[in-house]
Amino acid sequence: MTWWRRAFPLDLAEESQFSRREFARFLALVSAGFTTGIGFLWLRKKPLEGAAHPDPGPSGHPVALGLATDLGTGESRLFKFRDAHDACILLRTPKGELKAYRQTCTHLGCAVRFRGERLECPCHEGFFEVDRGFPIQGPPTRPLSGIALETHPDGSLWAVGELPKPTDIHARAATACPREAPTEEPS
Amino acid sequence: MSLPPRPRQGLLSDAALGVVLLLLVIQLYLFETVLQSVLDGQRGLLPGAFAASLVLTAVALILAFKLPRIDDGPKH
Repeated sequence: MTWWRRAFPLDLAEESQFSRREFARFLALVSAGFTTGIGFLWLRKKPLEGAAHPDPGPSGHPVALGLATDLGTGESRLFKFRDAHDACILLRTPKGELKAYRQTCTHLGCAVRFRGERLECPCHEGFFEVDRGFPIQGPPTRPLSGIALETHPDGSLWAVGELPKPTDIHARAATACPREAPTEEPS
Repeated sequence: MSLPPRPRQGLLSDAALGVVLLLLVIQLYLFETVLQSVLDGQRGLLPGAFAASLVLTAVALILAFKLPRIDDGPKH
């Protein structure tokens, strides 16, 4: 008698009806399900909900965003980019730079908003810094999709494409996250 | 007079079951990685990931369905 049998002396009538082999077959079928899922992602051409566009770069249809001077520091404005469902947010950072991001939170897809000096997802209190869209606090682990902006000589601002996703997320998140920042020793 | 012990039918060895479990863990990690990459717009690794996943699944299926019942008793 094994040790766990002695520790838990319960005699279940059903336990003899589920063999190791049946369990292994169940695991193998789950494994096949994962393979099917990856194959589905491969064959599916349309990007997933909230995903970055697979071909970042210039868009065939630039979107006019008004005059660059219309937006003051700390202000933001919403706009649609690739289609009517592609909600994006244009903002002017405290440093005075214009930035635009897709409004979809990379955690569970809620709409982010510009609050203070960072972008906030109100659903689960996720926060993103505004310079490159990196997550700095809360559940999100991936940066927001950035939108490329262009200012024409007449002062008009245009959304012209999607920026490639930055990759140094962990290093940036570690230094920018208040939880990871070194704390000062009390004197 | 007691009956001879009944041979255990259809049992996998510990090693085989362990390998199937390990394959599933690798599959889970692979799927999570692939999903994150797709959400980031990087689809270039999908063919390779699919091939790797297919191999892992084939091994798991062979182990689960085709491996001889090594714990079976002698055939009469």
